[in-house]
Amino acid sequence: MNFDLTNDQKMLQDQVKKFADSVLAPVAPDIDKSAEFPRDNIKKMAELGLLGIIVPEEYGGAGFDYISLAIAIEEISRACASTGVIVAVNNSLVGYPIMQFGSEELKKKYLPLLCKGEKLGAFGLTESNAGSDVAALETTARLDGDHYILNGTKRFITNAGEAGIYVVFAYTNKELKHKGISAFIVERDTPGFSLGKHEDLMGIRATANCELIFEDVKIPKENLLGKEGGGFKICMNTLDVSRIDIGAQAVGIAQSALDEAVRYSKERKAFGQPICNFEMVQSMLAEMATEIQAARMLVYFAGYCKNKGMARFSLESAMAKYYASSICVDVARKAVQIHGGYGYTKDYPIERIYRDAKILELYEGTSEIQKIVIARELVR
Amino acid sequence: MNEIFALVEHRQGAIRDITYELLSCGRKLAEKENTKLTAIILGHNTDDLVQILKSQAHRLLVVDNDVFKDFNSELYQITLNEIMKKHNPMLFLMGHSAFGMDLCPALATQLGVPFTTDCLDIEFMEQKLKVTRQIYDGKLNAKVQLRENPGYMITLRSGCFPAGEGSLDGSVERFDTPVSTQPDYRKFIEYIEAAVGEVDITKSDILVSVGRGIKDQANLSIIEDFASAIGGVVACSRPVVDAGWMAKDRQVGSSGKTVKPKLYIALGISGAFQHIVGMKGADTIIAVNKDPNAPIFSEADYGIVDDLFKVMPVLKTKISEVKLAKG
Amino acid sequence: MDIIVCIKRVAQTAEAEVKIDSSGKDIIKDRLTFDMNESDTYALEEAILLKEKFGGTLTAVSLGTVEAEDTLRIALAKGADSAIRIKAEDFQELDGYKTAQLLKAAIKDLKFDVVFTGCIATDDYYSLVGVTLAELLGVPHATLVTKIVIQDTKAQVHRELEGGLVEHLEMTLPVLFTIQTGINEPRYASLIAIRRAAKKEIKVIGASEIDPANIQANASLEELFTPSVGKRAEILTGSMDEISAKVAGIIKEKGLL
Repeated sequence: MNFDLTNDQKMLQDQVKKFADSVLAPVAPDIDKSAEFPRDNIKKMAELGLLGIIVPEEYGGAGFDYISLAIAIEEISRACASTGVIVAVNNSLVGYPIMQFGSEELKKKYLPLLCKGEKLGAFGLTESNAGSDVAALETTARLDGDHYILNGTKRFITNAGEAGIYVVFAYTNKELKHKGISAFIVERDTPGFSLGKHEDLMGIRATANCELIFEDVKIPKENLLGKEGGGFKICMNTLDVSRIDIGAQAVGIAQSALDEAVRYSKERKAFGQPICNFEMVQSMLAEMATEIQAARMLVYFAGYCKNKGMARFSLESAMAKYYASSICVDVARKAVQIHGGYGYTKDYPIERIYRDAKILELYEGTSEIQKIVIARELVR
Repeated sequence: MNEIFALVEHRQGAIRDITYELLSCGRKLAEKENTKLTAIILGHNTDDLVQILKSQAHRLLVVDNDVFKDFNSELYQITLNEIMKKHNPMLFLMGHSAFGMDLCPALATQLGVPFTTDCLDIEFMEQKLKVTRQIYDGKLNAKVQLRENPGYMITLRSGCFPAGEGSLDGSVERFDTPVSTQPDYRKFIEYIEAAVGEVDITKSDILVSVGRGIKDQANLSIIEDFASAIGGVVACSRPVVDAGWMAKDRQVGSSGKTVKPKLYIALGISGAFQHIVGMKGADTIIAVNKDPNAPIFSEADYGIVDDLFKVMPVLKTKISEVKLAKG
Repeated sequence: MDIIVCIKRVAQTAEAEVKIDSSGKDIIKDRLTFDMNESDTYALEEAILLKEKFGGTLTAVSLGTVEAEDTLRIALAKGADSAIRIKAEDFQELDGYKTAQLLKAAIKDLKFDVVFTGCIATDDYYSLVGVTLAELLGVPHATLVTKIVIQDTKAQVHRELEGGLVEHLEMTLPVLFTIQTGINEPRYASLIAIRRAAKKEIKVIGASEIDPANIQANASLEELFTPSVGKRAEILTGSMDEISAKVAGIIKEKGLL
């Protein structure tokens, strides 16, 4: 048992923290307000290697492990939740399935583009009528000679408006249910592929969240990711990984809420003394700090399981994502409470953090889905 | 020889303030130790300097050569090394300035004399020298004893030893420099004046000055609004310039400008001495800082212990009200 | 071009509360964060920029305890080729003079054209290590450097003087510069560079390489104390409205509104 970070993890944490504090944090309020995608910062992050954290060096990545991924996403999200998810999606929802399931050609073609930020990634799974219930997908892909013909609409897709490479799930054979779902790599400029509605979100507002519309989109056969019908497995395995960094995102956002709450409670005076002297405030701060540390341990542990090469770690990653996102929302709520009425104004960052936090319980598997995953692993 | 020496600092023909502080400190010590103070002047056309400083020391040791027109620590070191070897003073004082910082450690090391820098206070007792220095960003003081030796060399922080009128009539002694040309390895070329910006902060009656506490360049607009509401100009401390958020010509402090406005409002400035020396001449100083122990509160007349972003909007409104009431 | 940069790991005290420990000679460090000294980060960046321009080697040196290796590794990740730690634990109480002698002992056999240090350490505030080291190495120096342009063996150097004035010097290599903050924009290490640096070995030297008996300190610490506050601002209290009204009143009284 060893809780020490390795030398490279320590350095990564140090440098990402500094970068996040001085480059990402200053623009976080602005891009929340304008919902403008932080292109310049994404470019800077690409230069540092933050868009391909876990991708091997030979494909243009940095070749780090999954705990490092969590550390980086936590630090980024602490400074800016929008940027946190933009980077998380690129790394684990797009980079990961390509590196794990893609053919050598696909890996060579797409991974360097993703890692260098020349083309960003987006993950096209959710639809209007299919989110938690993956089998309810309506998007279809029909084989026609050398091509698949893709039809359907995806909704709530992070990075959609700015991406160049999309991992899209569609039925190649609806009768086979789960086993009839396949995953494809779709490029942005493919004819018939357009963007739909841009979502005006409550939080993580700068994430270019849009609909993807596919109308008879011809995808070359070689852009099938893995085997035909292997999409569901790719999807589940990818979500296991992405839950590590969504958990990390939750830890980062919660940490920023705690930092704001501690700062405010030391500055704000009531009844002649700083409110941090009051036990009910202290009680909240203590709960928040403890929950965050517990969540961080769960996230690191899920990363550790993946590092070890465990084939299945759905239990661990679902626990990490479920717990971290729940406490994140709760920590943000308490942080607002500590701020009192000021926390309800846009004058304080906690208002934004509170809005950003809620998404954690919703995307990449709602908390309810996580609990189902956990429970099924227990009784299986 | 148990004498006290002090180095005269001058630039572009003018004696620098620190010189008077060194000489005043030196005179007091000389009196206490029952010895004499020697002011060392290395310069060119030094008659004016000699006249001005005659009352400040028992003796003026003058090295007049055009090679000393401008400061060059290598030339100073070579010459002072000879002077020190001849006179072996018990204490040699220099300013903790861009000038003294460049010279003292090298000269003292060459001579093998124990030395220390940036002293705020000195105690001399039976050949033992103890000094007080500031450490940890000015938050603590350290009392330090130097290795016992017949002679010491130290640099003094400006603003810590009050300058005073002298009533001496110093004798003048000349010394020849062993060097007459600038060495190739370090040649003084020129002084470059800071570029003149559109705003001259030294001319404004009201300065609203921001430090590290501003957190982000974007927040400057709040400060600018406030400054214009109050009829002032925005200035800043060093970290704001280092971050590239404001131009160098807005910087107050030892490496920036020295200002003497009627009102100086310090926002989120902790009060490192390098900043303090640039603004302590202000008539009224109001400081806003979250840290009740920030050194700025030792310099300010009024203090507000709070987040500057909470103070600014309310204060701006109040000031507008008072203005309206008057108008 | 062969370059050496001296860096120090220091407690970050600019925005932290600093308390004296029970010995009266040190501060309580448990809850402080430590990092590369501020002006050293600029010195390191300047060294890396020179190396990128002219090629050659860059060695980072630090006198410190084992934790200083973390700081040296950051230097490796940013662009240093090799790193040396001098074991602070082998040399008892340190002052700037002793530090300079130890640094000299560590680098005396290395080839160099330029040595960099920061212009001041934010913990002990001496501003003397760089200049002393230059003297011990027998090379010219310039302090408070804000610009360096090197061509062949000549360096055009800007020093920052008081009052915003800049001194332009021409120097010949080899030379030692103490670097002022703001001279450049220190970079962040890329992830790939971090992974490579993590594997690099840091050379550690101590009492078996440098005889402590030959290293003398100039100064020894007697005690630490909290500065007495001479004048003290009148702290305005009350609600934000009341405080603001008081401030507006003070400003009005001075005839400035």
